[in-house]
Amino acid sequence: MRIFTAVIAIAAGILVLGGYFFPALADIQTLLLNWAIILAGMAALVGIFNLISVHTDKVRRREKGSTYSAILVIALVATFVFGLILRPDHSAMAILMSGIIIPVEAALMGLLTVSLIYAAIRLLRRRADVMSIVFLITAALLILGSATLPFGNIPLLGTLVRPWITQVLALGGARGILIGVALGTLTTGLRVLFGADRPYGGN
Amino acid sequence: MADTIKCPVCGRDNSADQEFCENCQSRLEPLTGPLKGADAPIKPGQAPTRKNTAELEPILPQWLRDARDSARKSAEDEAVSQIGKQSQESFSASNSDLLAGLQSHADSDDEETPDWLTSITGNSAASKKLDAESPEVRWVELGGASDFAQEEPPVESSSEKDEIADWFRDASGSLQSPGFEQPASSSHDSFIASSDTPDWLRQMAAEHETKDEVVSAKPFDAVPSSLFESSDTPDWLHQLGEDASKNSDSFFTDAEPSAGAESALPQSDAPDWLSSLGAGSQEQTPSADSADFTGPVSGEKEAAEIPSDEGLPDWMKGLQPTESEQSIQAETPAWLKDDAQPSTESADNFELPSWLSATSPTPEKPVQEEQPAQDDLPLGDIPGWLKAAAPQSSIYSDSPTEEAAPSSDADWLTSFKFPSEQTPEPQPQLPPVFSTDEPAEVPAFTGDAQSNYNMDSLFTDMPDWLSNAMEEPSSTSASAPAANSLDSLTPGELPSWVQAMRPLDAGSSQSVANDQTFESRGALAGFQGVLPLTTGFVPTSKPKVHSIRLQVSDEQRSQAAMLEQILAAETAPEPIASFSALPTSKGLRWLIAFVLIAVLGTLSFMRTQIFSLPVGVPFEVSGAMNAAQAIPEGAPVLVAFDYEPARVGEMEAAASPMFNLMQNPNLTFISTNETGAILAERFISGPLADTDQSGIQRLNLGYLPGGQMGIRAFAQDPEFTFPQLEGVTSLSQFAALIIITDSADSARAWIEQTSSSRGTIPVVVFSSAQSAPMIRPYYDSQQITGLVSGLYGSAVFEQNMSGGSGISRNYWDAYSVGMLLAMALILGGGLFNLALGLRDRAASREEK
Amino acid sequence: MTTLDLITAILSFLFTLLIFSYLIGDNPLFRIAVYIFVGVSSGYIAAIAWWQVIWPRLIQPLISAMLTGSLLEKGLIFVPLLGAVLILMKASPRLAGMSRGVMAFLVGVGAAVTIAGAVMGTLIPQVMGTINSFDLASASARNISLIEVIFNGAFVLAGTIFTLTYFHFGARAKVDGSTRRNGLIEISAWAGRIFIGITLGTVFAGVYAAALTALIERIMSLFNFLGNFL
Repeated sequence: MRIFTAVIAIAAGILVLGGYFFPALADIQTLLLNWAIILAGMAALVGIFNLISVHTDKVRRREKGSTYSAILVIALVATFVFGLILRPDHSAMAILMSGIIIPVEAALMGLLTVSLIYAAIRLLRRRADVMSIVFLITAALLILGSATLPFGNIPLLGTLVRPWITQVLALGGARGILIGVALGTLTTGLRVLFGADRPYGGN
Repeated sequence: MADTIKCPVCGRDNSADQEFCENCQSRLEPLTGPLKGADAPIKPGQAPTRKNTAELEPILPQWLRDARDSARKSAEDEAVSQIGKQSQESFSASNSDLLAGLQSHADSDDEETPDWLTSITGNSAASKKLDAESPEVRWVELGGASDFAQEEPPVESSSEKDEIADWFRDASGSLQSPGFEQPASSSHDSFIASSDTPDWLRQMAAEHETKDEVVSAKPFDAVPSSLFESSDTPDWLHQLGEDASKNSDSFFTDAEPSAGAESALPQSDAPDWLSSLGAGSQEQTPSADSADFTGPVSGEKEAAEIPSDEGLPDWMKGLQPTESEQSIQAETPAWLKDDAQPSTESADNFELPSWLSATSPTPEKPVQEEQPAQDDLPLGDIPGWLKAAAPQSSIYSDSPTEEAAPSSDADWLTSFKFPSEQTPEPQPQLPPVFSTDEPAEVPAFTGDAQSNYNMDSLFTDMPDWLSNAMEEPSSTSASAPAANSLDSLTPGELPSWVQAMRPLDAGSSQSVANDQTFESRGALAGFQGVLPLTTGFVPTSKPKVHSIRLQVSDEQRSQAAMLEQILAAETAPEPIASFSALPTSKGLRWLIAFVLIAVLGTLSFMRTQIFSLPVGVPFEVSGAMNAAQAIPEGAPVLVAFDYEPARVGEMEAAASPMFNLMQNPNLTFISTNETGAILAERFISGPLADTDQSGIQRLNLGYLPGGQMGIRAFAQDPEFTFPQLEGVTSLSQFAALIIITDSADSARAWIEQTSSSRGTIPVVVFSSAQSAPMIRPYYDSQQITGLVSGLYGSAVFEQNMSGGSGISRNYWDAYSVGMLLAMALILGGGLFNLALGLRDRAASREEK
Repeated sequence: MTTLDLITAILSFLFTLLIFSYLIGDNPLFRIAVYIFVGVSSGYIAAIAWWQVIWPRLIQPLISAMLTGSLLEKGLIFVPLLGAVLILMKASPRLAGMSRGVMAFLVGVGAAVTIAGAVMGTLIPQVMGTINSFDLASASARNISLIEVIFNGAFVLAGTIFTLTYFHFGARAKVDGSTRRNGLIEISAWAGRIFIGITLGTVFAGVYAAALTALIERIMSLFNFLGNFL
């Protein structure tokens, strides 16, 4: 079984990777990618089913917070049933999106402002090293440079400092991070294709 | 202690913790080491195993014999050999019990080694050859050889002592005691020998006077001195000494007391010449007493006491104290016991016993036999003065007894078969073993030997093996040393130095040593434990010893140390740098929340537009504007909605100006986010519906699962079958790709996976402010055409395209105030907390 | 305002307040709102997955292939169907092992896509972009002076290298067992920390800007809702 799964992973990976460089493999690549899309969608369903089972068990066991779990399961099943029946683009389903999902997420995002300011204020009390100071100064300068005054941009900050930080200094760091992430991704992917890493449980 | 031990065999330095030499595999430390602490007393009955091992002397190693030969050949030993020759011929050949047996065996068979010497090797007789290379054994022999000439000054002997192993030096004073017993015992043995060899003894006596100087060089002179220097010297002895000095002035004028001692010995066994040795017999007392005591004061004092016995001849007066000192004997024959009382009385009253006058033509001999008889008496029968004298006289305990043998021809003494031919081996071979100890240290004789307890034990607790040794000539040689050592030790216990010499080889040697089979027939009849039962199992050669130490280089050691450190670091708990748990300040949270909501709510409620929109167009925003303006009217534009509902306000505000700028675009919406499709519908029905453009076509392709895989599949084969996308078969046929995302990963996925299929179409990214820093490098690398990030970018876009009348404008005042407020809170609060943090850290440092 | 719009506005207002109640502290109302949100979102995603993935990409082709498709089409459509069935086994702990092959397929395909995207979409272009930071022709097209190009390009290059160096964790073990990076790398990494700090500070400012925008949008929605009744 281990060899079988490894062969599947390596073979599929090589075929898909070959599709990037060899046009002859483009169709096979597309076929495999379409299969993968279907299976990814099915995996999303499996994840949701798992969420249902977990919270259902909590309700069945009457664990602490089972009331909230019951609410979650009811909301989930109801939405799913209505979604299956009405389809997601139905206006009723839009109500759920505009009335519940968007307000809750946006409000949670709004609460983040308080938390961010609170964390920034307390940061230097916990650690006052170079990186923290640089981090906080940069954030403060950019926040200040992003604002305007009634008569226009904040002199120097909004017109010179902010653009230079974001377009030069931050660009260099971000590029380094991106290249590092790409190298890490490349390494991890190659390990999977070589069978060194088997995150699918075939170790 | 040095870290290295030089191998006594090959001379190579070995580390101190090694047991065997790396080069020659010789044992570096004696096997007797562990026995040092094993002070378990050996009760009578255990020791016989020791005496029998002397029978295995024939297997004495070759090196030992060679050493002996070399010792003989040395120039320094020539004088000793002369002494030894005399000793062989006269008295010194017969040492005490310790040496007599060895000598006799050495004489009879050169390969034989006495038990005590074989024990030194650490193995029993069966394994003697295995330990032939033992350094201690070698030292014993060599030291002995060098000490043959005991007339050597103590400095030389101490120099040799440097080579003595600690274990041997630590063998306690009991080890020294035999050494110093030796002179006395040798003299005593000489009597025994003389009793059986009257011829040579007579000859020696004739030569005695001519060799006084040579004889005086013997160690006898120094040894007894320490004995009698003791304050415990009985009064009677001093008195006797004084008497002797009175009788013969020449007695103490002799500068060589030992010579007197030697001269006295032949006297006892040579009746014919004994008369001529009257002065010599007088000299015997001081010689036996002490060399130091040869000092004019003490010597004269004691000598002055001797002549006080008017009833005795001069020579007898001189002998009396000597005999009294030789009073202690392990066992005394009955006949001696019978004679003990008279002799004791004679010692007390200075009266010649009747038996002495009757039996001996020479008065000296009975007198000399008289004291042993006293010694052999039961303790209860011994007078008080004799009890007190016993410890001192024990040194020479054997001398009178054996001295009496030739004169009385008693049966028990005849059992001591020490034929002269059995003692040709020069005496000096063995005495050096003990004479290596400093002569000045004679604790055994001064302390233990003088204790009444020891004396009592000698009389009452005499081990059986010692008594057997007296009866069995073959075993005497083996038991004699132990008997002598016992003189100064706790009764019934084998001295520690003897224990230390016991063989440790628990294998074959022990089996042999424990073999106590009594031979009942044949040539070995009467011997016990001579032949091992398990001869066939005794290894005939020493098994090669392989060092268990790894031969590692310094580099390997360092690497091993490094590995140990790494392993230790892996297992060592690494302290987690945890920050001090700051208490959550709800007040600060509430304050921040209140200020923000109050200010923002006020501004939002008032809908002010006081703050101006940002001035200046960044390059990325201008690129987006240029791309939007470059899109032909009605051209298909692919729009990816990849943002979360949480940022719907920001993203709608950021992207709406772009759609106002395009001329009736043919929009195709797609999303890799599950909620993106419905957000697209919201955008269509919201900001897009608010635009002035009426000819916008839109198509929502919905959700594209699979993330990067879905994007790659979509970019590779769009499979558009929709009428509004007629003629569009690939991604590159779109007029532009607009990515509205709040995630840098999503933008990166679109950029990466469409890079090979989108061609040169412009890519404009509308991103959230949080993801813009990670997307900007793609703009700098010209992978995307424009980038509009957050409300700031949309405000700039809106400011420059539509004059600032969109969503961004509605938010901008609150946004600017919110940013300024955050800046003030962060700077103010941050500096305050920085000060607090510095204070806390300083306080914590002070606490530490 | 239609009924649906009213219901939407009420729900939006109500849930916004419930979430904002967290500013006071954690409370059951906040939790109820969050649990309802999670349930609705999950149900909605499940409906999306069904209607926009399973149905159009698996069920419809399967029905079509069974009805009119060729044998090859039937065979090709059965493969994802079998994979879908097997991946459903993952929901059961006892049958989860049967889905390993499907997961291996997904991982293999995903790895290949990631590798190609990282190399062709990020690695090479970003390296080239770093090099092109000193491109005078491109700079002149943007009306950027030579000094500015070199100055900014140097900072970009230094930031890129130093940041990459910061992620270089290779070190040679010393004799005493300690591991420490090369001195030059150590200095570069220290400078890289500065650039990373600047970048993260920029991200922080962006996150705050996004959150502030969301807060403003919510506050405005509240006033808008209230404004409808005032």
